[in-house]
Amino acid sequence: MRRISPIQRFKMMNPIIQLFKFFILSIKVMVIVAGGHGGTRKVN
Amino acid sequence: MSKIVVLGAGISGHVAASHLRRKLTKEHEVVVVSPNSNYQWIPSNIWVGIGRMPSKKILFPLAPLYKKKGIDFKQAKAVTFHPEGDLEESKPYVMAEYVTGDKQGTQEKVTYDYLINATGPKLNFEATNGLNPGTNKTYSVCTYTHAEHAWDGLNNVIQEMKQGKKAKILIGTGHAKATCQGAAFEYILNVEQELRKHKVRDMAEITWISNEYKLGDFGMDGMLMSYGSITMKSSEMVEMIFEDRDIKWILGAGVNKIEDGVAHYENLEGDNKSEPFDFAMLIPSFSGHGFKAFDKNNQEITDKLFKGFMIVDADYTPRPYEEWTVQDWPETYQNPSYKNIFAPGIAFAPPHTISKPRKSRNGTDIFPAPPRTGMPSGITAKLVADNIIDSVKSGKESLKHKGSMGNMGAACIASAGYGLLDGSGISITTFPIIPDYKKFSKTQGRHLGKTFGSIGLAGHWLKLALHYAFIYKAKMKPFWWLIPE
Repeated sequence: MRRISPIQRFKMMNPIIQLFKFFILSIKVMVIVAGGHGGTRKVN
Repeated sequence: MSKIVVLGAGISGHVAASHLRRKLTKEHEVVVVSPNSNYQWIPSNIWVGIGRMPSKKILFPLAPLYKKKGIDFKQAKAVTFHPEGDLEESKPYVMAEYVTGDKQGTQEKVTYDYLINATGPKLNFEATNGLNPGTNKTYSVCTYTHAEHAWDGLNNVIQEMKQGKKAKILIGTGHAKATCQGAAFEYILNVEQELRKHKVRDMAEITWISNEYKLGDFGMDGMLMSYGSITMKSSEMVEMIFEDRDIKWILGAGVNKIEDGVAHYENLEGDNKSEPFDFAMLIPSFSGHGFKAFDKNNQEITDKLFKGFMIVDADYTPRPYEEWTVQDWPETYQNPSYKNIFAPGIAFAPPHTISKPRKSRNGTDIFPAPPRTGMPSGITAKLVADNIIDSVKSGKESLKHKGSMGNMGAACIASAGYGLLDGSGISITTFPIIPDYKKFSKTQGRHLGKTFGSIGLAGHWLKLALHYAFIYKAKMKPFWWLIPE
């Protein structure tokens, strides 16, 4: 069953569009992953 | 002078040892005890398993690197834990048995001031009758040798399909409580693409079999995520991908027996069913290594250290699913009985699963175990190393570095097909890993701005970039420490 339309597929596989996406993804992933972590318990 | 012993040289153990060595002066000893001679970047095993990457590209020998960096390396396996020493040895120690060389089979007391248990999981193939990689037409991609065998098996099936034989391919989890669905998910999409490249896709029926209740659970209770301009459930995204690629699926399946080309499973309705296959890649359940611990009088104290995996600062009080909170999850990975022992990565005992536990009508538990692989392994190992470094430098216990999986983001860059211009990847980030249903009550426990999915060629490039970046980092080349875990 074709669930991804031809236009969506074109966007997913077009190297020029995806090059921009690559930079955006890299930054977004970096921000989330390197954005810090910590505890969840309150310490009195 | 302090001596820090790290058990294991996988992602977690190697990260801990690297940071300890970089930040501690040479008067302090860093010792790695591991039965493996090589470091392997496990996320790329997927590409070894489809014949697109030789295993030598995902591994390197540990001994020369550790010698160069001043890390003592013992190629040995831990046998028993003695956190109080014994009547002859006053210092705590681990009994290690050498696995190679002149000392093979001999045991040594490896004493320590601090111990990091990063032994990861035991791949518990025995828990499923007949599930043994390379036999009964089943394979695994959990190690690079397993992945090499998987490619041999898959290639044979591809050649048979080229001769006109139809084939059934089954990929997923091989036990009712297996984890690591993400690796199986990557593999099934890569296999599907390879079959298209070999022009035999129409000869194969590909089926996903999993202990998940819904597609896209991944052992994390699924997630609500941003996808482009819309908000989508992970189950909807995976369903879209599987339907688009003509992959069938069987859910809520606890595989309990493998015979030659047949997987037997029980489903949540309590029915016993079977699924034939010509090639299967099934992830086994993970378990602890079955270590035993003894006090100074040689009395067994295993239950102070282990609960399958190692006991840490989690809240292990049994409670129903509705009462679970992110606060149950550990923050420092320190053993409460012996404060100089830590267990980051997969080695720590989780307080409970992340996915909702479910039983079949026959009472069999069928649900994913919680994943702790990859990024959380590295992050938890680094924070454990940082706490030990602070403690060593200040001379008193320091636990200021904390990292609960309930307050930590993770990225899963799943390969969906190899190829510089025709490859694909599914990039998923999630924050937090453990859903916080109180803090993010309207978005299924996750921060929607930090939990997103994306499909496309860029995902493949990103996975490839991460492969090279993390191999560079693991080899401790110049400025390796600038690359985050």
